[in-house]
Amino acid sequence: MPNHERHEIESLYGRIGRREFLRLWGRPGIAALALGAVGAALAGRAGRHRPAAPAQVSAPPDWRVRAEPILAASNGQGPSVNVRRVIAELGGIERFVGKGESVLIKPNCGWDRLPEQAANTDPELVAELVRMCLAAGASRVIVADNTCQDPARCFRRSGIGPAAKEAGARIVHQGTSDSASLDLGGTVLGVWPVLKALAEADRVINVPVVKQHSLAVATLGMKNWLGVLLGSRARLHQRIHQSVAELGAALRPTLTVIDATRILTGGGPTGGSLALVRKADAIAISTDPVAADAWGAEQLRLGPMALPYLAIAERLGLGTSNWRSILRQA
Amino acid sequence: MRPTARHLRIVVQAAVLVGFLVLVWLLAEPRVRGEAASVLLAVDPLTAIGTALADWTVPRWAWIGFVILALTAVTGRFFCGWICPLGTLQQLVSRIASPRRRLLLERNRYRRWFAIKYVVLAVLLASAALGLMHIGWLDPISLLHRTMASAVRPLWHGGLSPGGWVSFALVAAILLLSAWMPRLFCRAVCPLGALLGLFARLAPIGIRRDAAACNECKLCLIPCQGADEPLGEHRVSECHLCLNCLYSCPENGLGFGVRAQPAAGAKEPSLDVGRRRFLLATVATIAITPVLRVSGGGLSASTADAIRPPGALDEGAFLARCITCGACVAACPTGALLPDLGHTGVDGLFTPVLVPRRGWCEPSCTRCGEVCPTGAIAAVTAKAKQAINGPAEVTIGTAFVDRGRCLPWAMDTPCIVCEEMCPTSPKAVWLETVHAVKRDGSEVRLQRPHVEPELCTGCGLCENRCPVGEKAAIRVSSVGESRDPRNRLLQRPGAVTSPA
Repeated sequence: MPNHERHEIESLYGRIGRREFLRLWGRPGIAALALGAVGAALAGRAGRHRPAAPAQVSAPPDWRVRAEPILAASNGQGPSVNVRRVIAELGGIERFVGKGESVLIKPNCGWDRLPEQAANTDPELVAELVRMCLAAGASRVIVADNTCQDPARCFRRSGIGPAAKEAGARIVHQGTSDSASLDLGGTVLGVWPVLKALAEADRVINVPVVKQHSLAVATLGMKNWLGVLLGSRARLHQRIHQSVAELGAALRPTLTVIDATRILTGGGPTGGSLALVRKADAIAISTDPVAADAWGAEQLRLGPMALPYLAIAERLGLGTSNWRSILRQA
Repeated sequence: MRPTARHLRIVVQAAVLVGFLVLVWLLAEPRVRGEAASVLLAVDPLTAIGTALADWTVPRWAWIGFVILALTAVTGRFFCGWICPLGTLQQLVSRIASPRRRLLLERNRYRRWFAIKYVVLAVLLASAALGLMHIGWLDPISLLHRTMASAVRPLWHGGLSPGGWVSFALVAAILLLSAWMPRLFCRAVCPLGALLGLFARLAPIGIRRDAAACNECKLCLIPCQGADEPLGEHRVSECHLCLNCLYSCPENGLGFGVRAQPAAGAKEPSLDVGRRRFLLATVATIAITPVLRVSGGGLSASTADAIRPPGALDEGAFLARCITCGACVAACPTGALLPDLGHTGVDGLFTPVLVPRRGWCEPSCTRCGEVCPTGAIAAVTAKAKQAINGPAEVTIGTAFVDRGRCLPWAMDTPCIVCEEMCPTSPKAVWLETVHAVKRDGSEVRLQRPHVEPELCTGCGLCENRCPVGEKAAIRVSSVGESRDPRNRLLQRPGAVTSPA
């Protein structure tokens, strides 16, 4: 800068000393440097994606008890008596539920329907199972389902909510439960979020109702597992038979209770019209989920070969579709 | 400290505010009767006058509002100072933000532009008389209720929406402005306050000033809520009756009782609007209103994605009655109802629409009609909206399969979720079984969905559960809704055909 210019500036603004300079520019300078440092530290991170902390993934527990494959059935006595007689025939609930164990009961409670419409498991049956488990010394009994419609309404109008609560159980559904991640393995499943209560239970009793289903042909025990899954379970329908069989392989219940008190013969799984309902007043319980589903199919006048997922399940070694070979009539 | 009327006022304000919040949550609680959960909406005389002008009906329990209006003609705007929860919130904010006392002296003086609220009232009432109900945009009860229902409650229960966000932004702006000037909204904008102000001018009872005792210390201005100048020419139309001035006067010169009547020849302080301006605002509104009805106000056919709650009146009557309080939005158990922004034109702003990707209309549920205070959504029976053993009486739309997106139609991939979910009996979604040959030559058995429009209720459960992400492959649109004969799909035998 030529001298005369510098003089001109100094004469206009006065000479700025070091102290004065720091007083003027110190704080903004520090702020600018700090901002620059933050910017430099973050530069280049924009495109970098920090993955969410991986969820705790565990293998599903095995809820079976040591017992021979056996299926018992009873009919014509109403759900409460039927289920008591079948359980007695199997050797009593104490064989399956120990003192201090927590039990999860999985009915089909997916729909905002009344008991007479047979879209859900019979509430009296669920309540009776709850009472038996508690009498056997279970520390707590949870009745759980991820419903397809408004959960409050499904539990209330199916009668399962009030009946199970009165019997001493706690209700768990997608609106009240946390999720846990289970590695269900298989070729189509992999890691799925499930109702957390399932992952925490010591014993699990699967209590489906017998219903016609347009894709799965019939929805029974192994199909009922879709009701513990959270997440986008609607995609499983693209390979439904493989999915249902693999769910059966991943989730091994203590007992499968097939509710054929009322059977939904068409318009499943929702039903609606009472003309679609047939009263059979029958219940079967098995330690073998394949045999249980085969018995259920029989109630719809379907042989085991009508259900492709039963054949896959048999191939996977989950049980026998020849339920007559292990039957005990109660 | 001796309890005073001021303490009583604070207790009442707190109780109403808490009650207001609790009731918004109880809207979704089936054990509480719907009309009880929306009872506080009935204290608002402005929405009642609005629906009376627009539709010749008044909301349920509107007599409560009219009693409040009558009491206002006796004792002034006690509603503003004692009851209105939006007023309470503003008072709370301005107290916390508390401008300095010296500033408050200035801020709490009356300003001529406070008269804007009378113009707002004139505009809203004139448009209501033409069937365009926009009172809920600015009515403090509707505005706050809608904000709680569609912006605050969703923080716990999910379901945030653009319409809820805009309402929230409005309330947030009102509260922030009150930090600058106490109750700015009440003083200058609130149409309900304006209505009550007009009636308050008739009131024989109010703040009474002993002119001889006044030494012009101005201390009464500091806590004043209405900026009604208790120390000079008291403006009774602006006074919120908060009674703060009574307890701030060191000379005990202010009291509550029969007001001194203006001296012979003198009049009440003017409203600062002027008859001409009032008239101009009204005439301008009447001129503009038809243009604002860009969606036709239901006079033309409904828009495709304006799916209304079950039992909603036909679009014209619905828009005339809906005060956009958001009660139905909070009450919907599946979170399907959202305050609209953009689908139904300016006249449908904040009115409820059902968005099936958010939720569906539960066939056995009639809650939205039960909580609706104005009957814009008529109460229907669950039986009427369930298609069991035949078509439903009340339908809200029709589902259409998008064959270009549907897995079995377009991708040769098995899927039946829409049919599985369909809650009618027989199912409105039915499956056609085909054996298709895939690209690699393999054969695949597919069940392709079709919709039987006669049976479809438009509940949207199929669209909600369709596994094809963001934009479902089966979607509901409003055609076929039972409320509007012009928006019908099928020629049903014996059906009333379109009048137009």
